[in-house]
Amino acid sequence: MRVTVEPTYDMSKVLGVDSFEVEDVATVAEAVEKARERVGDEFEKLSRVAAIAVNGVLVSHTKGMKTRLSDGDRISFVKAAAGG
Amino acid sequence: MIKGYAGRILEVDLKNKTFEFKPLDEDTARLYIGGKGYGARLLYDLTSAGIDPLGPDNVLIFATGPLNGSVAPQSNRFAVVCKSPLTGGIGSATCGGSYAYGMKKAGIDVLICRNAAERPLRLEIDGDNSDVKFVDASDLWGKGSYETQKILGEKKNHAVIGPAGENKVLFAGIVSNERIAGRTGVGAVMGSKNLKAVTVSGSRKLEMEDKAAFAAYTKEVRALFRDHPVLGNSMAAYGTAAIVNTTNARNIIPTHNFKYGHFDRAKSISGEYMADHTLVGTKSSCIHCPVTCGRQVDLPGIGTVKGPEYETLGLMGSNLEISDIEKIQEWNYLADDMGMDTISLGAVLSFTMELQERGMLDSGLQFGNPAGVSEMIKDIGHRSGLGDDLADGVKRMSAKHGGEAFAMHVKGLELSAYDPRGSWGQGVEYATTNRGGCHVSGATMYMESVGPFTINPQNYKLKSDLPYVQQNIAAAINSMVLCIFTTYGIVPKFVHEADPKSWKFRAAVAAFENSGPLFRWVNSIKGKPMLWFEKWLTLITGTNISSGHIQEIGARIFNLERMYNLREGLSAADDTLPPRMLNESIFPNMKAGHPLGELLPRYYQIRGWDSRGVPTEKTLKKLQVAV
Ligand code: SF4
Repeated sequence: MRVTVEPTYDMSKVLGVDSFEVEDVATVAEAVEKARERVGDEFEKLSRVAAIAVNGVLVSHTKGMKTRLSDGDRISFVKAAAGG
Repeated sequence: MIKGYAGRILEVDLKNKTFEFKPLDEDTARLYIGGKGYGARLLYDLTSAGIDPLGPDNVLIFATGPLNGSVAPQSNRFAVVCKSPLTGGIGSATCGGSYAYGMKKAGIDVLICRNAAERPLRLEIDGDNSDVKFVDASDLWGKGSYETQKILGEKKNHAVIGPAGENKVLFAGIVSNERIAGRTGVGAVMGSKNLKAVTVSGSRKLEMEDKAAFAAYTKEVRALFRDHPVLGNSMAAYGTAAIVNTTNARNIIPTHNFKYGHFDRAKSISGEYMADHTLVGTKSSCIHCPVTCGRQVDLPGIGTVKGPEYETLGLMGSNLEISDIEKIQEWNYLADDMGMDTISLGAVLSFTMELQERGMLDSGLQFGNPAGVSEMIKDIGHRSGLGDDLADGVKRMSAKHGGEAFAMHVKGLELSAYDPRGSWGQGVEYATTNRGGCHVSGATMYMESVGPFTINPQNYKLKSDLPYVQQNIAAAINSMVLCIFTTYGIVPKFVHEADPKSWKFRAAVAAFENSGPLFRWVNSIKGKPMLWFEKWLTLITGTNISSGHIQEIGARIFNLERMYNLREGLSAADDTLPPRMLNESIFPNMKAGHPLGELLPRYYQIRGWDSRGVPTEKTLKKLQVAV
């Protein structure tokens, strides 16, 4: 199974890509772990107040880090902001 | 006269070149504050049902409120109210810049423009001498909004139109400095009156009930704002563009004419990207606002100009599948100079691109391709060629060329840059807001999909209560007239700093989500002023204003606007969303469409409307809405 991870802007700057794909992950927790490995030391700092969404839906509204993934899902790290 | 008001309404007859200063009505001021509310009252009373919005019988009302003219942060905006040529219902828009401040300095709360001049005209209002000059404006006709203001003198306070207003583009706006009263075609109404510009001057001081307390409290609020993660930080650094990455991650940024809610290249049109690549470091602000959310960019051959806001990035970036930020910056400038609303403009361009894609209209405009867009913006502003059709907005375009199923408007007003399928409360707000598909008449999406503390945007909880409360607050704020962004300050700093993944945070969100009637009840309590705008109103006018008063006044304004719309022939059938939003899924495997039909009955009930969406007599009586 293959899913897309979409990091925050700051994480993307560290990684040099807008998004990346990971394979063989069944839950959000596993996908986040892959992102942690990829981002490296700065992951904690960069993800501290970021929420996580699957296909736009915050996992806090579903099963949290245990939320199960399907092929083609998009996991986004979201930072709240304001504007309009 | 109640403190905070100048006490004068100026009424001008553009055809006969006459004017009269009249006293502001204190009772109306108490009931509707000023700005959008007072304007709606005047529009209802001064016009007959069924008038042509672009005919001489429409009135163009510029209205300030009791906070304007003060140094309170975010407090210098004016409202423009008229019958909308785009929707046929209430037209209203607010604008920052410096014009509102100028009106109050001139000692004028409200300016009513009646009739239409026979030739291009501009007004020079000298508040100190209570004089109005009707000046020939033939020399300015055809000039852009920036050049017009430059010629009139950059140090003075103006409200002007560009070519779009002159040519009655149905989504033309009115410009002050670099800001625009963009929505519902108020600029077309100004153009229909052959009124190119209004300049105000004067040296009056704003009177307040408790000046010392106001000054001391405002100092505190400034410190609070400085320290706030949004008002003092992200808005100052990235402006409204700060939310591009957030709405993209939450699947609500319009993409491909709102077919999708996610744009793979969104980071390249984000506020952070602009800060890294195109912002020149200078900012622009509405007068006396420490937030300074306007950020400037350099345009080759033009110079330093205002950069695009979030709405422009969404509607003219992701929605057209364009990630070339330089192009969007150029289009933003062009649209501002033409004096037109970039939300409606972006929506009509994406609609035209989809017609092209489906082989329904050959315009040459294609998703993902910037070719021809600059030329089309100019053609729209001048109503030349196919631009003449686009200048009428999405609703009329779809009536002429087909494509109603993907025509993205409510009541004729094009949707803002938030996909309601990923923000159900925002969908209820779009459907019921009196001026149509607008986001600043409640900004429900902030509590659903944008801010730091968001409820589940895709269940039934709070989806009728939240828009109701938010719409009431926004109606009152737009009548003070304060910047709607002030509401972002209501979510305190510690919430921004909390970890949204923690159980405590999630429990708080769940409790809020389940609060329903309690949430409305808490907001309706008439007690002491708590929030800064309640305290400012109290200190300036001497009348105690609390959240309960704000809810009551806001509901009154909202219902009066509703009665105006019903009078003009709108009905519950217009409380809807575009078919694409109701029927199509936003993401593969997700539920299809927005469940509006299941949410509206409860919303009507909360509003005190009958099943046909008509305010009951009891509701109107309770709110003192005379019709
Ligand atoms: S926050 Fe921005 S738009 Fe609002 S008043 Fe301040 S500068 Fe103007």
